Amino acid sequence: MNLNYSDEQVMLREQIQKFCETEYDFYKREDIVKSDDDFDSNVWNLFAEQGWLSMPFSEQSGGLGFGPIELSILFEEFGKALVIEPYLSTVVLAGSLLDNSTFSSKNDLIEQICSGELHISLAYAEAGKGYDYLTPNTSIDKKGLLNGTKTLVLNGANSDKLIVACNRDNIFNLIILDTKTDGVSLNSFSTVDGQSCSEISFENVQLDETNIIASGDEAISLIKDSLNLATLCVSAEAVGCMESCYLKTLQYTKDREQFGQPISSFQVLQHRMVDMFIESELAKSLLIKAMLEVNNRSDDMYKHVSALKSYIGTSGKLSAKEAVQLHGGMGVSEEMMIGHYLKKMISIDALFGNADYHLKQSGK
Amino acid sequence: MRPYSINQIKYIKKNIMNINFSDEDLAFRDEVREWLSNDYPQHVREKTEKGITISKEDLIDFHKALSKKGWMGYNWPVEFGGTGWSASKLYIFNKELGLAGCPPILPFGVGMVGPVIYTFGNDEQKERFLPDILEFNTWWCQGYSEPGSGSDLASLKTKAVLRNDLDEDYYVVNGSKTWTTLAQNADWIFCLVRTDNSGIKQEGISFLLIDMKSPGIEVKPIITIDGDHEVNSVFFTDVKVPAKNLIGEEGKGWTYAKFLLAHERFGIAGVGASMRSLNRLKEIISKLDNDDLQRKANELEVALSAIEITELRLLSALENGGHPGAESSILKIKGTEMQQALSELFVEASGEYALMYPGPHGYENNDKPAGPDFAAEGLSAFLNMRKTSIYGGSNEIQKNILSKFVLGV
Repeated sequence: MNLNYSDEQVMLREQIQKFCETEYDFYKREDIVKSDDDFDSNVWNLFAEQGWLSMPFSEQSGGLGFGPIELSILFEEFGKALVIEPYLSTVVLAGSLLDNSTFSSKNDLIEQICSGELHISLAYAEAGKGYDYLTPNTSIDKKGLLNGTKTLVLNGANSDKLIVACNRDNIFNLIILDTKTDGVSLNSFSTVDGQSCSEISFENVQLDETNIIASGDEAISLIKDSLNLATLCVSAEAVGCMESCYLKTLQYTKDREQFGQPISSFQVLQHRMVDMFIESELAKSLLIKAMLEVNNRSDDMYKHVSALKSYIGTSGKLSAKEAVQLHGGMGVSEEMMIGHYLKKMISIDALFGNADYHLKQSGK
Repeated sequence: MRPYSINQIKYIKKNIMNINFSDEDLAFRDEVREWLSNDYPQHVREKTEKGITISKEDLIDFHKALSKKGWMGYNWPVEFGGTGWSASKLYIFNKELGLAGCPPILPFGVGMVGPVIYTFGNDEQKERFLPDILEFNTWWCQGYSEPGSGSDLASLKTKAVLRNDLDEDYYVVNGSKTWTTLAQNADWIFCLVRTDNSGIKQEGISFLLIDMKSPGIEVKPIITIDGDHEVNSVFFTDVKVPAKNLIGEEGKGWTYAKFLLAHERFGIAGVGASMRSLNRLKEIISKLDNDDLQRKANELEVALSAIEITELRLLSALENGGHPGAESSILKIKGTEMQQALSELFVEASGEYALMYPGPHGYENNDKPAGPDFAAEGLSAFLNMRKTSIYGGSNEIQKNILSKFVLGV
């Protein structure tokens, strides 16, 4: 047994930290959030240039062949710096799905993802379906026409292509299409944590066999794995947020003086920060378990990812709320970073099944 | 190229992280399981499985069986007759015994005073006391807390004055100790006593071993809210203690006490025993068709997994040359909260039968008058488990420790 990160993994973490410090401070992030695209193409090109966009893809597909452990490291660090670039949608949700598929032009597509040319997203959710992503109403009829509406498509407005979960003859299908295709219309908005997101309607969109990535069991297994990996990634992001909430709150209480002393000298605040520290460590433990199970592709990997997601949904929000409270009025100021962790935690809990949903899944 | 380029990493594809135990450790686990099914005393097993109170004799049989296998010194180095186990083996041993429902190994001899004696005692003391601890010939109890000294342990007042009569050096001990677990069974007590009042309070404390048969010692039971007699008050009136029973140097007792507390915290999370409780609860709840209870059980399962992996992280750090740090306080806090939450869920699962008062440790003969068979056991465990967040450095004291050493405030 060895639960310590390897030297190379530690180095990877340090490099991501260095990037976040030098190229992605809070003011830079604010500018990106306020921009129309909700992402920065220069940063994206930088990701490509440094090989970041190639990280999780298999070497056969032209990637670097890193796994869930390295992705977790990346997202933990993204969480600390509140990076909002659309890595999750393009690289994890859509990219990893393509990589695992037998789709004929997947190598081309992955090459374009790695080079930063292609933005692509996965349209998995529908209104009124809760967290059930496997019984879509969106469907393809006998003539090959796609009709229906997918919701909460991350980075939809910037995506050149979409992978859509739909039904054909009551069989689950994954199809790929250009966002610009006739009959595709987008209603785009920003998420609470500053990402771009779209509701996308399909009206008699003509498809043929070349649009189909996978059908039936193969398609179900592809989307389950993609969503499971994405759930792991946002959970890792939450673990990063939790650590930052604790550390930033600690620093703030050491600096902030009231009644002639730093407020960190008050035991009532100390114990609340200790609780934040403990929750952060326990969440890290569940992350380590979940990422290793996914890395080993064990039978229990979904269960352990669910345990992690339910835990960070509850304790992550708690940590972020405590961080706001202990920052006093500064905690609710838009110009301070701390309140943005709370928004991030709300967003992460809502994605891919909230704490209640995953708590049930973890017990199955 | 920017400094953080991923392409600069000469990445070694072989991931070294691994959550599985080595083959050697797994073989050891099998050996522990084999011992549990063959040599763990059957009459003790039957009682713990039915939730019947185990007696002093049962506890002695259990410890003697461990001793016979050579496992009594589970946390001791080989040179003092211990097993010399790695942190992994120690963890596996604790977990398997907990999962099997064994009573906790009494910590006072082997877990507490033993390590103090072999670390700070002289050769005569080692020869005199260690073999009896390993063979469980002496039952030790712990004389730390006093009526006026709980979390502020260093304020203790029990006084030991050095005298000399007829060329014999001895201490005269006066005062009282409290919350002394199973003092009614004990042959010996290790005590923190005050030998000096002149300096700061930590400096005048000494570590003294006292024979419980000494004249002037009186043990009075304290009955706890579960109705049980587990803890006691111990009164000392002019108790004569040979000076050769002093461990180390006079006035250095506080150092030894802190050393001992660090030992006490290891394994305090009780993961194995909690897993056994949780498995039992899940079985009970699955038959009740109650979503609220199911949800609570799921929550505890996730939290227990987090505790277990936190303990494994500590273990992994130890095995790779690190030192235990804040983790042991985290484990104390979360492990005891877990024990309490589990026992409370047993009570909730009993529904209206939670109002039955079972007496200490359930019904002596397991012949319940009414209700499900887990109801009585659950309630007494719930009441008994309140102690866990209070002893061993209360959970609030643990948070003070974490404030100081992790937060740095």
